[in-house]
Amino acid sequence: MFRIQTYMKTQSENLSAQESLDIITGMIEQAKGSVQKNSFYFLLWGWVVVLANLAVFVLIRFTDYPNPFIVWSITIPAAIFSIIHGIRKDKQSRVSTHLEKISAAIWIGFGITCFTFIIFGAKIGWQINPVITIMCATPTFVSGVIIRFKPLMFGAITLWVLGVASFVVGSSELQFLLSAIAITLGYLVPGYMLRSHEN
Amino acid sequence: MFNDLDPLLHSQLRLAVMSLLISVESAEFTFLKEKTNSTAGNLSVQLDKLSEASYITIEKGFKGKKPLTTCKITPKGIKAFEDYVNNLKQYINK
Repeated sequence: MFRIQTYMKTQSENLSAQESLDIITGMIEQAKGSVQKNSFYFLLWGWVVVLANLAVFVLIRFTDYPNPFIVWSITIPAAIFSIIHGIRKDKQSRVSTHLEKISAAIWIGFGITCFTFIIFGAKIGWQINPVITIMCATPTFVSGVIIRFKPLMFGAITLWVLGVASFVVGSSELQFLLSAIAITLGYLVPGYMLRSHEN
Repeated sequence: MFNDLDPLLHSQLRLAVMSLLISVESAEFTFLKEKTNSTAGNLSVQLDKLSEASYITIEKGFKGKKPLTTCKITPKGIKAFEDYVNNLKQYINK
């Protein structure tokens, strides 16, 4: 492997073109590995959304509970927790890359869009589940590309396919079951793979 | 040889720092120190030289109670780095 120590010799030493090139490529390679691989958000949101979907499915199918959608309010503390975690991580990180900023911008934009669709759910015939599942696919895929992690890209494709299936199923409690499966395959499975990769 | 190579960049540590900074948005002193495997004193001197030439900006602040130095490459620094690489290419192609 390229040894960093070898070129941190004295300042006055003459560098050959090849040595210069080695320093440049070596350092760029070092910096490239600095994009944070953050499985935290995939695991947090994966579990929150899967459990909420399953709870809504169970409440609709097996009980007469009048307001099953109240379960979704668990996303509020999850969002607050995500923001706190993000700020804390940002303070801890010693290097900030442009790709991380792009990634954060895409996910924040996705969050705002989700929130908008939830507020105006009635306008889209309450097809929130398929819409959000399909929308999830894009930032997940982009994250996979940024950190060069194929399982996330495959997860994104799964999200898209199951989102489409959710449209096909139409307005029924089955949409919640499909979403739970989609998020398990699209977030949790790649999320845990990413975590074992980080360690 | 290497007459038209920017002398400010044609130094091991300064070139290493610039190569790191060209790849990231900003980096802390400790990150640069670790990646270049340099001593704090030497790194600090070289950063000042780059900063004097306006190739980088150095921001000093605090993270909690610890002093924090954050470095960023400037457009002038990016241009100098690109010129350096282009000149280097000519030497290699010769």
